[in-house]
Amino acid sequence: MHMKTRSSLVFLLFTLMPGLFAQQLTLTQILNNYYKAGNFDKLQKVNSIIMTGNIVQQDLMPVKIVRVRPDKYMMQFDVADLTAYQVYDGQTAWMTTPWTGKAAPQVMPPERATDMKNRADIEGVLFNWKEKGHTPELSGTDTVDGAIVYKIKVTRKDGGIEYNFIDSAGFMLKKRLSFRKVGGKEIPVENFYRDYRKVEEIPFAFTVETNNGGRVNEIQFDSVELNKPVDLKIFTMPEPK
Amino acid sequence: MQTKIFFVATLFILLSSRMFSQEILQWRGTERTGIYHESNLLRNWPEAGPALIWECDSIGNGYGSPIITTSTIYVNGEIDTISYLYALTRSGKFLWKAPIGKEWTLNYPGTRNTPTFVDDLIYVTAGLGTVACLDAKSGKKVWSVDMATDFHAPMVRFGFSESLVVNGDDVYCCPGGADTNIVALDRFTGKIRWICKGLGQMTSYCSPALIRLAERDILVTFTKSALLGIDTKDGTLLWSHKQDSEGDVHINTPLFEDGCIYYITGDGNGSVKLKLSADGKEITEVWRNGACDNTMGGFIKLNDYIYTASYGRRYWYTLDANTAKIVDSVKFDKGVTIYADSMLYCYNEKGQLGLFKPNGPKMVPAGSFKVTRGTKAHYAHPVICQGVMYVRHGQSLMAYDVKRR
Repeated sequence: MHMKTRSSLVFLLFTLMPGLFAQQLTLTQILNNYYKAGNFDKLQKVNSIIMTGNIVQQDLMPVKIVRVRPDKYMMQFDVADLTAYQVYDGQTAWMTTPWTGKAAPQVMPPERATDMKNRADIEGVLFNWKEKGHTPELSGTDTVDGAIVYKIKVTRKDGGIEYNFIDSAGFMLKKRLSFRKVGGKEIPVENFYRDYRKVEEIPFAFTVETNNGGRVNEIQFDSVELNKPVDLKIFTMPEPK
Repeated sequence: MQTKIFFVATLFILLSSRMFSQEILQWRGTERTGIYHESNLLRNWPEAGPALIWECDSIGNGYGSPIITTSTIYVNGEIDTISYLYALTRSGKFLWKAPIGKEWTLNYPGTRNTPTFVDDLIYVTAGLGTVACLDAKSGKKVWSVDMATDFHAPMVRFGFSESLVVNGDDVYCCPGGADTNIVALDRFTGKIRWICKGLGQMTSYCSPALIRLAERDILVTFTKSALLGIDTKDGTLLWSHKQDSEGDVHINTPLFEDGCIYYITGDGNGSVKLKLSADGKEITEVWRNGACDNTMGGFIKLNDYIYTASYGRRYWYTLDANTAKIVDSVKFDKGVTIYADSMLYCYNEKGQLGLFKPNGPKMVPAGSFKVTRGTKAHYAHPVICQGVMYVRHGQSLMAYDVKRR
């Protein structure tokens, strides 16, 4: 091989390398970049987030997600044009399932309550993980939607395992893989985060695709509102009538 | 001489009511085609959409469309599980409401059908099976039957949803019972005129079409897995066309034009063209296109093209009516299509109303806006009458000024 050709190849390889391989960063470096990209400094000052849009399956199902610090979460959504709720009030997780013919709210089983509690965490498991009792570890790289991502395994305080996939270029969360138990079996739940748009300088994924053990849906958000007043009564489980 | 003139005049009046077609206000316009015979409507909409003239926000839950007479708007709505017929003035003021029967509330709670208005009588259904005739002036019930108890109708997954067809002295309903599949009722008394056993399948939410041929009138409707053609004279099943799927939702009204029947289902064969024999006794399949499906948004056929929204892909499609090929598409989610004064009106499930100019296969956008008022799903078919577009969104009925000035 001519010297000149070999030099060109080496040059080309070095030029392409950043695009082909993720940089060798430590977990701390990756997470710091992730916090910076997500403008977590500003996010920490946000007290409430209201996201409205539609769950897209065969039907369009209007959805509204409300989070209030430190630990309140409500998802209001329509199934067959019947409005349902999944709520965590900081202690109790409850839900309604009107499509089953039951109007009364029900307390969620413990494993689902854990998931609801995690959903209430505005910054997520990767931020202040030590204080929250979670343990992240870097599990190498992977690809999501054609992008190279850092794969971070998190052993949560509740003992559950999940994987977070962070874009090696922009350091945004691209995918989350978690597991939920259905009839004694662990079902993988994949969330893909797309269409990031900034709201008051904080990026939010306006499209979230979920593959829940083969059942796929997509939430398309129309709006994200920050620090709007929220009546905390919405999180309280209604008394049965 | 005077007696003779009186006799001739009386004969003329009597014959007229039988010879000339009745003026019927009903589902998707006077011919049930989604085409409204209007003129001088806006060719483009401003960015915010046409001006809202009024809104009536208390018509009960439902998905059915209004019908509009010279003085009154009629629309169905559900409150506390009861289906009501609402009468409003043309300016949206409440006049009265009359109970029809128990409404479907297990899923998609609310009224489904659009009233049918003939000669000051109104024909309606309720989700649990009531078929009723009401006086249009007072709302007083003239008669009613219960398809569940009177005709042993099996309950369906989404409630009875048919917008009734009136033909002469008959009104038709589809209980879907094994022995009482399609029933013709005397529209003045509710008495049974004939019963068609069809294929013994349950009903499939279809609002039928009526085909008028020289030899016979044919009621065309769906039951669970077939399109049926029924002679309206005596209820004879003339033919059927099987659906190659297990789905039971075939809501869209078929269309008859130039000797051919067109239908589009979201749960069956997709888009289909059938050739109907001159005597109406036979059908021959001309084409089908399973990729062009639509569950309940209807379709519009203009010359060589059919415009409809795809159920599976959330695009509006243009289908070549001669070749069955999809020749163009527009990304506008999915929903309802109607037509008036050279323009297509597309109301999607996200609540956006779009105006499109059909130009051969192309649908050229001419404005859109979002319907922000009202409740629940955006399923109701808009109606256009005398320069006003009526949009029902759950408990709200809105009137928009679409007249060109």
